[in-house]
Amino acid sequence: MGVSIVPTLKVLKPVGMILGVGFVGLLVGYFANAAFFPGTTPVQPIEFSHTIHAGDYEIPCLYCHTEARRSPSAGVPSVNKCMGCHAIVATDSPLVREVARHYENAEPIPWIKVHDLPDFVHFPHNRHVAAGLECQECHGPVETMDRVTRVAPNEMGQCLTCHRDMEVEHGIDCLTCHK
Amino acid sequence: MPNIDRRSFLTLVGAGGVGAGAGFMLSESRKHPVEHLVPYPVPPEEFSPGIATWYNSVCSMCSAGCGISVRTREGRAKKIEGNPAHPVSQGRLCALGQSGLQALYNPDRITGPLVRAGRRGELEFDPTTWEESLAELANRLELMRTAGRGGGVALLTGGVRGHLASLLELFMSWLGSDQLLHYDFNHPATLYAANERFFGESELPYYDIENSRYVLSFGADFIGHWLSPVHHGLGFGRSRQARDGVRGRFVQIEPRMSLTGGAADEWIAANPGTEGILALGIARRIVDQGGYQGADLDAWQAALDAYALESVAEQTGVAADTVARLADSFAETQPGLAIGGGATANHSNGVDALVAVNALNHLVGNIGVEGGVIFNPPPAFGPTASRQASLSRMLELAEDARAGRIELLIVSNTNPVFNLPEAAGFAEALAEIPQIVSLSSFLDETTVQADLILPSNTYLESWGDDTPAPGVGFRVGAVSQPVVEPLYDTRATGDIVLELAHRMGLDLAFPWPNMEEYLKYSWREVWSSGTPDPAIPDFDTFWTSVVRAGVWGDETRAPGAEFAPDPGVVDGIGVGAPEFAGAEGEFPYALHPYLSNGLHDGRGANLPWMQELPDALTGVVYGSWVELNPVTAGELGLSEGDVVAIESPAGSIEAPVLVYPAIMPGVVAVPIGQGHEQYGRYAHEHGVNPIDVLAAQTEPGTGALAWAATRVRLVPTGGRVDLVKVGGDSRELGREIVQIADAGTPAGAGAPTVASAHDAGAAVGIDVPAAGAEAATANTRLNSIPITVVNT
Repeated sequence: MGVSIVPTLKVLKPVGMILGVGFVGLLVGYFANAAFFPGTTPVQPIEFSHTIHAGDYEIPCLYCHTEARRSPSAGVPSVNKCMGCHAIVATDSPLVREVARHYENAEPIPWIKVHDLPDFVHFPHNRHVAAGLECQECHGPVETMDRVTRVAPNEMGQCLTCHRDMEVEHGIDCLTCHK
Repeated sequence: MPNIDRRSFLTLVGAGGVGAGAGFMLSESRKHPVEHLVPYPVPPEEFSPGIATWYNSVCSMCSAGCGISVRTREGRAKKIEGNPAHPVSQGRLCALGQSGLQALYNPDRITGPLVRAGRRGELEFDPTTWEESLAELANRLELMRTAGRGGGVALLTGGVRGHLASLLELFMSWLGSDQLLHYDFNHPATLYAANERFFGESELPYYDIENSRYVLSFGADFIGHWLSPVHHGLGFGRSRQARDGVRGRFVQIEPRMSLTGGAADEWIAANPGTEGILALGIARRIVDQGGYQGADLDAWQAALDAYALESVAEQTGVAADTVARLADSFAETQPGLAIGGGATANHSNGVDALVAVNALNHLVGNIGVEGGVIFNPPPAFGPTASRQASLSRMLELAEDARAGRIELLIVSNTNPVFNLPEAAGFAEALAEIPQIVSLSSFLDETTVQADLILPSNTYLESWGDDTPAPGVGFRVGAVSQPVVEPLYDTRATGDIVLELAHRMGLDLAFPWPNMEEYLKYSWREVWSSGTPDPAIPDFDTFWTSVVRAGVWGDETRAPGAEFAPDPGVVDGIGVGAPEFAGAEGEFPYALHPYLSNGLHDGRGANLPWMQELPDALTGVVYGSWVELNPVTAGELGLSEGDVVAIESPAGSIEAPVLVYPAIMPGVVAVPIGQGHEQYGRYAHEHGVNPIDVLAAQTEPGTGALAWAATRVRLVPTGGRVDLVKVGGDSRELGREIVQIADAGTPAGAGAPTVASAHDAGAAVGIDVPAAGAEAATANTRLNSIPITVVNT
């Protein structure tokens, strides 16, 4: 018996262990990040609660996100619009005072986008609102969220499934969304 | 694991740690980048995110005054188109106009007031504040004014019209200075002068190309740069296609085929500077053939006596029968239109030549008629006297500067250091001026000499108004409104002037807080001059509707008045031989500089889109080149890419050769626009500026720079470069793209039917040898041009 693989294995064993432990570490790091720093639920510059506004007080979505009715972009309300109510309502709340400070300094609030589509996707809010879709179908039960989280994957399968189910005319043509 | 040692343990901990870190970063990299949604604190009226807002305004990239519509999204300008309601542009816009966005967003814009720190021209500036610099400047101006030295202030701007021009006029008159000058390289000074002499009015009439059936153009590159190219291009297209059964004919006479010449049915090259003589040869033939029956026929016959066919053919190099054919067809085809510009207008005999062109229109009765020359009503507002400076006027300013009569020069959006020949010595004269203030938006060659830079807004951020020149035969006024908020710490030119006036204590003379209020105040007069409209009960409604539409005015032309030239004018008609700087023996080639398609007179050189735009005829992108006929190139043993020195009596530049068949032998052409030493990252250090080698040769009557009147010689330097070109080979290579109709033989199957041998000659765009051996020999130089233009 001239050749044995045993010496080779002896050399490989520590390398294998290193790689194995390293891989386990990789998985732990990956999921730990996703668990502790979820990108789908960003912390907003002002802790605005949809639970209070859309849930408790049942303010309709389109009351503040007016543009969803007529524009491809739903938009977020201007500071001016917040002050429409908050000039009178809950003026002593620290968060409202923060909003008022932005209004007085004419300083926009840099909200962080929760739902975002890539630039190569054309998604007109106005057409979907006109088709009678509830906002919640894509955005989830926002009225129960203190901090808004992304519930839908916002990936192509979701669009196509819905377009198929609703039998949208030209709904699954490439150029309907990618134009 | 009992048998693990300390060393292995640490190794494994390290591996786990590195793995965890990598996993963390991997997860991080898969996350969507944080994007912000930033709403307005208080949104503008009718604003909707995601929906574009279009604002009508006026283009200021050249002097044509096209109406524009600018698409904006969330307060940012995104796209410029022509304003469909504006009678000049009618929804169209040229490449330079489209790239106005790159002037707005240009990374080399001056973003705030600057004060010179180093020596002049060293590009060392310190930032300063508007408050401080305006206070200081106003103080200085007021001291000069009260001391009676206001005449020492000179204000030099680019072409300005409308109420901004009125405001500058008012400001300078309060200072007590007559040194208000507008300098624009492409200003048609000789055309104004020729019209004043022939028509008695120093105005540009409307040239109705659209309704003309025959356009005879002497060097006017009317699709490229002449007067109002967007409008002319539109009219030309309609003259060709928009009428049932009539296709307008178009003949172009110029030494180097321009973009416009490339669209002609027939392209004729006359010896440089003799186009006016050719026009008079045509005029003589029309009179001889009985085409003119006016009361002053005798005077015309006497005036045109010297322009017999043979003599004209000899001087111009165009065969006698071609001249006769042009004359006969031009007289027969009504309405026809003769126009002149380009090298014809900017030669030593430019005014005489343009008067000859005007005479042609008169002889065939095309003045005041549709499809001919239509007079414009006086502009609805703005100053009446022109402040446009000729080369002579600029030389006077330079002389005043050298003599110490100019204490303070304010320059605004014009670049005479680049656009005047070096021979004029303007740059040296600037050094003699104690203080130079620039209101320009960019650090161009003139602005780098400034001591104080108060950067103005671009036109897309400013209020203004305009009366397009030439108009369209009826009154037109347009309002230019800011389509975006100023991007940087800059101010509109009008606002700077008003602010200076206020700080000088001239509030009573300048009661308007800003340019917008001044415009509103002035437009009240325009409003009250119009016929009352019940739909527009008050001025505010009127103003809103004008700003919204971007344009105001009439919609129909008044009937043309009878016209007859003054008898003295007819007697004085005549075009002398062109005078060149440089003896023919020493400098054998006539230099033909031309405004390049995108860069215009150089102002477009800092716009990347314009730098990337290949020349329409040669396909060359980037840099400068010198165009040579294959015959000329053959004589000198040069081929494409050979670098030559172009030497004139005034200077020398180097450029690579481009062999271009559509230029006369004996003429060399260099595009204007490149060769900037400053003007930002996209403009500087590309190519050469042919204006540098021009002699300060003028048209004597107007003092305008005769930029086609310099001779040069070519000296090979031995260098070689590769010219960057698009479109592959300019030859056919057997692809039969251009079909050639032979004059002698009937057209072949599938080729267009040729009505007569006469027309067929016209169709191939060169003289037809069959028409006479004599003619052919007279024009051997031209016949050597291996180009055929076919009307298919």
